[in-house]
Amino acid sequence: MSDSEAVGGLWREAGAAAATPALLDVAADGTLTVRTSADGQELARQAIRSVEISARVGTIARHVTFASGGDFETSDNDGIDRLRDRHLGRREGLIHELERFRPRLLIFVAATIALCFAIYRYAVPVLVEVAVLVTPPAVTDIMGKSVLMSLDQLVFDETKLSDARRNALDTQFQALVAAARDMPAASSPGPSYALNFRGGGQIGPNAFALPDGSVVVTDELVDLADDDEMIMGVLAHEIGHVEHQHSLRQIYRVAGITALIMLIGGDIGAATEDIMTQGATLVALSHSRAAETEADRYSVQLMHRTGQDPAAIARFFELLRDKFGLGGDVTFLSTHPATQARIDETRRYAEEVKAGKR
Amino acid sequence: MTDAEAPRTTAAQDLAVRREPFVFTGNAREYFGIWIVNVLLTIVTLGVYSAWAKVRRLRYFYGNTHLAGASFDYHARPMRILVGRIIVLVLLGLYNITLNVFAPAGVVLALILVFVIPYLIMRGLRFSARVTSYRNVRFDFTGGYWGAFLAYVVGAIVIYLSAGVLAPIASQWMWKYTLGNLRYGDRPISCDPRLEKLYGQWWLPAVVLVAGLVLLVGIAVAVALPVFWQFDGGAVGDEAASTVWIIALIYAALIPFLALYLVAGLLYRAGTRNVAFNETVIDGRHVLSSSIGRWRYVWISVSNLAATICTLGLARPWAAIRMASYMATVTALDTTGSLEDYFSSIKTEGAAVGSEFMDVEGFDVGF
Repeated sequence: MSDSEAVGGLWREAGAAAATPALLDVAADGTLTVRTSADGQELARQAIRSVEISARVGTIARHVTFASGGDFETSDNDGIDRLRDRHLGRREGLIHELERFRPRLLIFVAATIALCFAIYRYAVPVLVEVAVLVTPPAVTDIMGKSVLMSLDQLVFDETKLSDARRNALDTQFQALVAAARDMPAASSPGPSYALNFRGGGQIGPNAFALPDGSVVVTDELVDLADDDEMIMGVLAHEIGHVEHQHSLRQIYRVAGITALIMLIGGDIGAATEDIMTQGATLVALSHSRAAETEADRYSVQLMHRTGQDPAAIARFFELLRDKFGLGGDVTFLSTHPATQARIDETRRYAEEVKAGKR
Repeated sequence: MTDAEAPRTTAAQDLAVRREPFVFTGNAREYFGIWIVNVLLTIVTLGVYSAWAKVRRLRYFYGNTHLAGASFDYHARPMRILVGRIIVLVLLGLYNITLNVFAPAGVVLALILVFVIPYLIMRGLRFSARVTSYRNVRFDFTGGYWGAFLAYVVGAIVIYLSAGVLAPIASQWMWKYTLGNLRYGDRPISCDPRLEKLYGQWWLPAVVLVAGLVLLVGIAVAVALPVFWQFDGGAVGDEAASTVWIIALIYAALIPFLALYLVAGLLYRAGTRNVAFNETVIDGRHVLSSSIGRWRYVWISVSNLAATICTLGLARPWAAIRMASYMATVTALDTTGSLEDYFSSIKTEGAAVGSEFMDVEGFDVGF
């Protein structure tokens, strides 16, 4: 029985390159011996339980490492496995078994694709919500302040609006904020809102919100608007972004998808990984479509609550369309509803709010 | 393997230079199974298995790379890789959180990162070398911190400031550092690529890049500019819509430029590897040889990338095997004298002994 189990290979002393052709054999009591092939001289002896047998990967050579550091190398994968299975009474080649080229690999492929999709579709959004919940207000506070600081240095100029004009707009803004705190879904302490006026520089007429509640509106937008209600419609939209914590979600979503790609990483190649990460950023941007719709609806509700024109934001979009011709029913990659669709939807919702609820 | 170990010396062979080719014996069918199980288990274990996956992947590639009848081996312990990955991940996480929370700290953080990265690269190279063996003898890496700083930080700055004109200088530092600091057992390896030879490989990619840029900018001016003008007005007011439009357009316009940059980079990488390998001498007597066909290398890389993307990554195992096979066929070792006699005297020495239990992997920059 012993003879049939002997495995041929090469013996090397610890860390040495010189090799001797040798035979690995095992006695009934589980003692391994290595002998030279030429004259049967014993080179090493040790219990099979205490040697280290390298795991099987494809058909590469296997190594049996002895306590002395001596190394027995063989290409006879089946021989080594037979010897190990019989004398250790357990199978350790589970991973190798899974890896063999069998039809079940198709199931693995399907499972991998399904898992990637499930993580993207379900796990990432949940993790984003959790991350948003545990983010302390202090963090969003510093975030908002530092972003505004950077923008002031890079883009914005001092505002040129008169004090009276600014005070008038600020009073109306504070009324919106007060109404926002009464909204059913308002977060309980809520962010501390502040309206900031800036010269728009390169970005022209624009308004945006930072996660800490800082809302920035440019002089160009104030000048462009036909009436103050339009400006308030835009500001209500920005308050909506803050209340729904859209920018924080966006940051976490990009981080989550990048982490997912890095998880598979290593095995898909650096170039592919880069392309996928870039693609993920683009995909994450498409979420801004849902966020914009949400903020539009919020604007309609809030304006209605304060007794102003709920469709003010839609009127502002129409003004933009007429002035700059950003219209047409183009939808690119469905990343954002075409502006006409957005106006129509906002108007429809405004009618609904006016008619239905109170 | 046994027959290669048989004595093959004659007096005549002792004096002649003999070319030993590298041979790669892996195949896509076998590797596909390893790869898909790696990916699946990595996802199921939330990334923890990735360390084990890396060991199986590299053991497969090293174990299938043969030279003069013996194969290479990869000995890293997955646990040590996992520890290294957690350390790097925590550092990256802290960096990103700080950057997002407090943007003005970016300057200080970038400065810190610039000094930490060479250290991580050095540790990574040392780890990779020490867990690699050929004929039971470990490699070692003796490069220090400032060598890595010169090769990777100063080198990057030099390339950037000179718009690539001085890239061969940086390549010389990089190859000298990575290959010249290697040791095989107790034997030194030297690598001294001459600057004029590196510049000889610099012309083709430089010309391709400049000619391509001129062509692309010409097309861009003729075609793309009117398109951008249309959206100029849209850039105001409706912030989200216009942002997405503009970003999408920029991506579409950038793709040809990125492809051009990729091709030039591949040409350059292949050329400089040839130069560096051909001037790498092991123990003063065995000379590496590399004869990559530069356009062939570009073709294999680009078609591999295209196949991988078109199949949602499923062609990756085939692509990886294809590249490894090609790289093996264009690499060889020119030796003199009896390899058997030579190897009989070599031993693993110093810190490389048992380092797979102690060392932690840093940045993995390949080796």
